[in-house]
Amino acid sequence: MSKRIDRRNFIRGCARYSLGFGLAGLVGFTLKDTTSDEWVWQIDPFKCTSCGRCATHCVLNPSAVKCVHAYSLCGYCDLCGGYLKPGHISRDTAAENQLCPTAAIERKFIEEPYYEYKIIEDLCIGCAKCVEGCSAFGNGSLHLQIRHNLCVNCNECAIARVCPSDAISRVPASLPYKIKGGFEPGSVS
Amino acid sequence: MDPFLSKMIKVLPYLVIFTGVAALIFWIGYNPTRNFLPSEPGRDGFTEAGAIDENIIIGEQFEQFSTTQPAFREVWPRFRGSNSDNIYTSDIPLINSFNNQVPEILWEVEMGEGHAGAAIYEGLVYVLDYDEELRADMLRCFALDTGEEIWRRWYDVQIRRNHGMSRTVPAVTEDYILTIGPRGHVMCLDRETGDFLWGLDLEAEYNTEVPLWYTGQCPIIENGVAILAPGGDALMIGVDCATGNVIWETPNPGEWEMSHSSIMPFEFGGRKMYVYSASGGVAGIAADGQDAGKILWQTSQWNQPVIAASPVLMPDGKIFLTAGYGAGSMLLQLTENNGGFDLEVLKTFRPGEGMSSEQQTPILADGYMFGVLPKDARTLRNQMVCVRPEDPTEIVWSSGPTARFGLGPFILADGKFYLLDDDATLVIIQKSTTGYVELDRVKLFDGHDAWGPLAIADGFMVLRDADRMVCIDIRRN
Repeated sequence: MSKRIDRRNFIRGCARYSLGFGLAGLVGFTLKDTTSDEWVWQIDPFKCTSCGRCATHCVLNPSAVKCVHAYSLCGYCDLCGGYLKPGHISRDTAAENQLCPTAAIERKFIEEPYYEYKIIEDLCIGCAKCVEGCSAFGNGSLHLQIRHNLCVNCNECAIARVCPSDAISRVPASLPYKIKGGFEPGSVS
Repeated sequence: MDPFLSKMIKVLPYLVIFTGVAALIFWIGYNPTRNFLPSEPGRDGFTEAGAIDENIIIGEQFEQFSTTQPAFREVWPRFRGSNSDNIYTSDIPLINSFNNQVPEILWEVEMGEGHAGAAIYEGLVYVLDYDEELRADMLRCFALDTGEEIWRRWYDVQIRRNHGMSRTVPAVTEDYILTIGPRGHVMCLDRETGDFLWGLDLEAEYNTEVPLWYTGQCPIIENGVAILAPGGDALMIGVDCATGNVIWETPNPGEWEMSHSSIMPFEFGGRKMYVYSASGGVAGIAADGQDAGKILWQTSQWNQPVIAASPVLMPDGKIFLTAGYGAGSMLLQLTENNGGFDLEVLKTFRPGEGMSSEQQTPILADGYMFGVLPKDARTLRNQMVCVRPEDPTEIVWSSGPTARFGLGPFILADGKFYLLDDDATLVIIQKSTTGYVELDRVKLFDGHDAWGPLAIADGFMVLRDADRMVCIDIRRN
């Protein structure tokens, strides 16, 4: 005699299989991105001169280039050259003191005299103003990267075409990012 | 007509009006920025730290380890040397190269994280360290040739790490040693014995606002008088080293604050004066006479939030001022006018347009000015440059893109610049007014943030990175 499945168990089973297939798909998709022979565009932060063209020349608006933060390099400074405008009136979160045109950097007090700076990626337009300020006055912990969840991987990257320092190149999709803080200039992550 | 259609035609205008009114109400009531947060002060959650409960007794502790008296004669008695020009003058010839060898480290001592440089007086090295274990400002005295610690005097004071803690060079004379600690604690000792003479808490006595990265002002002693610039209630003070009595105080109506810059003695127009670049402005204070302590001239046209380099004073009355963090530089012309002084701004320029510096003070020599440009000097970033002092935007030479340097110190000695890079690489550069000539370079040890000022006496160079102080012999055989 066949066992009859009630509605509750049927729905539960469906949900379980859906979740399983979903997870498997996600893993497969991720593996595909990291193990395939495909190529993606990458910014070398050690070559980048913070010219600002990443914000204006990407085919996407806002750009797929975002600022990322290497916390291991950050000095957690109160006077942060990446957060505060040169000639700022006071070292605080007032709009007139912030360098970022979209307020994409969140400043959080840790303890005297340390502050943490976090990039709000949805607001970041990749203008590199903070990168320039951080490189000029700090440890260079703020730097740009092409975010591959956003990048449409054009055959010819519009930013690479105009990058004055040839900081953008094609790399294997298995090594999509070159993040500061974990290696010396010139090495491959 | 279909009754339904007829009904709809009647209802339609009301429906349109209703929809329009609803849309209008929604449009008026809808605020697309309702989730926006205003960028206003205080969003970072800053809370004022409560006052630290501590009883600071300046100069309280003392320990003697030895009575050694090294037999040396030369002195490097304060920040930038006896003449405040950062030039070592001696008949001792110094090395031109390292001969493919790393110079022997004669001695090495561990230091609390910081950038405080040494003063040297007849074979004794004095450095104001911060002992992280004891949590104390500690003046330590070492033998120049062996590094043997002879004595130390300290007092408990809580300092939090902030890109280094100690950063001042003591002032030493035949009779006295004068120090300023990170939080503005002034200590005066007998030089020979290390006996405590007097102390002064600038925060408590003068409402000094300690700068962002702690006190960087190196004290000076002129004719037995300690010259200090507290900011706050007094722009500058003169204190009798023998008694600790305040001889004169300069009012501070502009409420200028203490910077990381140091007071530079200057003689011009028949007057001795002290030039100080405060946060708020720059001023010349009478150094002697009945009006000692009086402001002879001042301007707030040079007003930068962070100033580390000291004013470069030129014999013709020109004063070169520079600061980092995008500030750039300014050139002033001081002229004597019937016993008074007139001041004119000759030039103001951004980093990269001429000589500028974030941390180290340029050196004036042979009618030229030498220095290392900051990171924001565009294509010339981090390069050593030589400029004409009468127009610091006129760059005579630069070290080029292959010879860039960090924030480390440099000193002129025996016709050569000895420049210490951030990672403790020592570079020897020929003093030249025609081009950059690098004679040699060597990495002394695996260092970081080697920013403390250099000191040379009797051919021994005392230098440091953030954590250690070392001594090398740079005499040429």
